[in-house]
Parts: sequence; structure tokens; C-alpha cells
Amino acid sequence: MHGGGEMPVAAGIGLRAQHHLDVLAEAPRVGWFEAHAENYFADGGARIACLERIRAQFPLSLHGVGASLGGTDPLDSEHLAKLERAVRRFQPMLISEHLSWSSAGGRHANDLLPLPYTEEALAHVSARIGIVQDRLGRRILIENVSSYLAFECSHITEWDFLTAVAERSGCGILLDLNNIHVSAHNHGFDARGYVEAIPRELVCELHLAGHTRVTAGNRDLLIDTHSAPVAEAVWDLYRVALERFGPVPTLIEWDAQLPPLAELVAEADRANAILRSPRADAA
Amino acid sequence: MPPEPLGAQPVTAPALGTAPATAPALRVLQAQVLDAILPCGSHGSDGSDGSLAREIPGIVGGDIGSARRLEVYANNAAANFLESLRLGYPVVRRLVGEAYFEQCVREYRRTYPSRSGDLQHAGTSFPDFWRELHGADRYRYLADVARFEWLIQESLTAADEAPFDFARLGAIAVHDYNRLRFRVHAATRRFASPFPIQAIWEANADADVEPPVIDLDAGGDRLLIVRAAGGIEFLRLAEGEWALLAAIDQGAAFSAAVTTAGRAAGEFDASATLQKFVLQGVIVDFAIETERP
Repeated sequence: MHGGGEMPVAAGIGLRAQHHLDVLAEAPRVGWFEAHAENYFADGGARIACLERIRAQFPLSLHGVGASLGGTDPLDSEHLAKLERAVRRFQPMLISEHLSWSSAGGRHANDLLPLPYTEEALAHVSARIGIVQDRLGRRILIENVSSYLAFECSHITEWDFLTAVAERSGCGILLDLNNIHVSAHNHGFDARGYVEAIPRELVCELHLAGHTRVTAGNRDLLIDTHSAPVAEAVWDLYRVALERFGPVPTLIEWDAQLPPLAELVAEADRANAILRSPRADAA
Repeated sequence: MPPEPLGAQPVTAPALGTAPATAPALRVLQAQVLDAILPCGSHGSDGSDGSLAREIPGIVGGDIGSARRLEVYANNAAANFLESLRLGYPVVRRLVGEAYFEQCVREYRRTYPSRSGDLQHAGTSFPDFWRELHGADRYRYLADVARFEWLIQESLTAADEAPFDFARLGAIAVHDYNRLRFRVHAATRRFASPFPIQAIWEANADADVEPPVIDLDAGGDRLLIVRAAGGIEFLRLAEGEWALLAAIDQGAAFSAAVTTAGRAAGEFDASATLQKFVLQGVIVDFAIETERP
């Protein structure tokens, strides 16, 4: 199966159902949309018809959140069949999932849990990404997740792990810069060092989003809530990333406390300006 | 002053493939994490005792401690599950109030935890839960409200259908009509209740409007939930119409469906009923008895 064409090297917006009608009515000037694949797993109905209409006007990426690629239960064949159907229906330019797991023993957390960065996990998740790519007949992108805990048994850095997964499975990398910023704070590593360790040719998409700070005892944790504008530190990391990787399709993600579409378009405009000229508006 | 970085993950790491011999198997480790953050099993944490997650070995806790770190995931998992139920059951939520709804979702999740990577399945058994909780008291209509809301969700997401092919029906010999098996639109759901659920649902569907008082003894519902161009619609069914459609939906050929419906509902005009269902888009296709639709 062939993809739906090239993704434009421009800023896109995460598509949420609350904005469907506004997108169709206003046709905002954004490069593309990214939809959560599971939100369009239905057999039919208005939501599917809406995305078909949006897809007719805009380039699209399908972003999965529920495949549990790093999980040890068998891959969910029904879930993959629905993903396959969504890919057939909407012909997305890009398809992505997460470097994480969310289920074990038939129980689902429906959240993106980090893997231990071990050789066992590396071999396991790389093989499963390969299975999904074979099934879809397409290369997929794998996204680094925000994390709030690390495992004592991890003996590979996350950036080396992510790179090795891409090299072994042949997938591309969706580098989420907010997730790097959040995890760098939560675990005490250098966010720029992470970005600079990822090979240029593997990065096919970038994500930008907002996060929240919570207190934990006398310290604090950053939480990847997608409920706020992109933080200045993440915009700075975006400039670093663009200088390293060159221009890359970039997504503004916002899920909780969703603002009007115009606010997301404004964030995408800012990303587009930086995309064109990474150092022009640097502080 | 910015906060100090947390944790103790090394910035440089050994080369790939030098796993320490003590690493627990991935499967074991994942089971331990879910035991710590999900409200199932004997050690489950669900917030009822004030703690959302419990400590497990093998986590880099740093100053924060592994329980607090796991708690972030426990919170996320609980919040994602609750949000899915809130979206799926707005009328039940309004009827019982936010606080009781949340308490009930926590209880529901202990009995019916998520079994799918697609959270839209999380609410599948919520009507059963209400029946178990309030099936024998004066709130027993809540189970029917929940069932009604779930059927609406099913209808909204069911497959699209091509319009009925009248020309194809015209080519069928009249003497073959009784052998026809009709097929009901995938987005159609039959709903019956001893309570006026449609009225309750309509009165509470708009959260900004103060709902009128509904008399629970005002008579029950026997209706069809159908998906129309403008959204969900409800068609009230007479007894014969209900029985005929039920028989057709269960795969009976038309003559057999008429017989079944006649036994249940007495005398009624089956041909007119069939015609109405076709014109309403309730029946969308047919096959001759030997070929299954």
C-alpha cells in the first residue's frame, strides 16, 4: 500500500473532534492535521465522514496511542485491523505510534508507560514495530514518550535506545521535544544532548506541546498534559532541533482544556516562523 | 531559581547489549507496574485508601520515591478511564451528579477494568454495573438510561449503508417475496424499557437547561434508535412493528417474521410496516432465503 503522498514541511495541528466543524467551516491556514487513530476506529458515522472531508482538503497523519508496541501480550490483531482500515480509508502521509507499553496480562492502563532500556526490551519492541510495518505495508514513525519514572535495570540511554529501535526496525523517529524536555527535567539528563544524539536522517516529524508542573515532596515533576501553550524552553529546544535536523514537519498538540482553533493556529504560525528561520526570533 | 533536576539516570550509559544479569524479565516487570497502578488484584490501588499507587522494587525513585512516580501513571490511567465514561454517559452523569458518578466509575473500574487499547470500549458494561448496583431499588431506571446512552454511542459509530435498492426488489417475482430475508441498518438499535427513558434523556441532554420533572410512571418506551443525516432520531414502535423488526433482525425470512410478529402482536398490516421501514431507511437490503444477506 502506498502512502497518501509527501507530508509538507510545515507546522500542523493535532485534530480534536471539538474542532471538526470549525476546521471544515474555516479551512484554517495550517499545513496539515494529525488525528489520533483510535478516535477514527468506528465502522462509520459522522466522525468518520468528517475526517474524510478534512482529509480531502488537508494532508493528514494518523497517530496511534493504543497499540502497546512495547507490551508483552500478543499484539492485538483486532486493534491492528482497525488501524489498517483507518490507513486504507484516510491514506495518511505519516503513521506513528509510541515507544511505550500500556497493557500486560490483558489489563490496559490506557496510558503511555516507559520501557526499561534493556537489550530484551530493545529486541522485543523492534520486532513488534517490524510486524506492524509489515502488516500496514508502510514505514511507521515511533515517538519518544514523557516519563515520570525510570527502571533500575535500564542500561541504555533513552536516545540510544530510540535510535537503535529505528535502526533495527527500519521505522522513522517522531521526536517529541516537549517529551524530551519533560523527561530531562524528571530524570536529570540534558535535553540538548538528547536531541544532538539522534541521527539526522531518522527524524521525520517533530511534536511540540505544553506541560504542567506538579509538586512532589520538596521537588517537582513536569507532567505532559497537553493542556497549555508550548513552553519557551521547548521553543528553544525546537530551534536546536531544526539546526540539527533541518526543516521537519512539526505538530502542535493540545488535548486537555482545549482552546479555540484560532489559538492552535497561532501556535502553528509561530512554529512555521521558526521552521523557516530557526534563529530569527530567538530570545 | 529553577528546580534541581530529579532522579539518578546516568547521562552516559554502557554500550548496548551489556545487560546486567539481574534485570527482571520484561513481562514480570510490566505485570508489577500494572499491579502497582491499576485497581485490580488483591494489592490494587484505587484511591479508596488515599494511596493511588504502591511502592515496587526496581524503580529509580530519587528524592521523589517510586510510589509518587507511579502515582502519576495511576492518576493518568484513572483520569483517562473516567473521561471516557464522562463522554459516553453525559445523561447518567447529570442525573446522579458529578461526585456520585465519579465514585461509581471508580467502583465500575474495579469490576470492569479496561481490556482494550481503545478506551472507547471502556463503557461497554456500564449499564450492567448500574443494574447490579441499583437494579432493585427506586433508581433502577438508571440502568436503562445507561443502556440507552450506550446504544446511542453504538448507533453513532456503526457502519454506513448504501440506500435500499428498489430496482433490485422490483426484479424479484411476487411469489418469492415471502422468501426474502431483509437486513436492518447497522446503525439501528431497538430499545424497550418500562420507564420513559427517551423523555428523561431529552430533558437532560442539554446541560445548560434546567430539566423538567419527568414522571417515572408516565409509561415505558418501545422504540428504535436510528441514525439520520442530522444525528440520532427515535422512532416509536407499535407492538407488531417491534415484533416484526425483531424477527427480521434475528434472520427470519419475511413470511416467518410475519408469523412470529402476528403471534406476538395479533392482527397488524405487515406489508405496510415493511414498506414504512424501507422508506425510513431502517431496512436497507435483502437476499432471497437461500443466500444469506
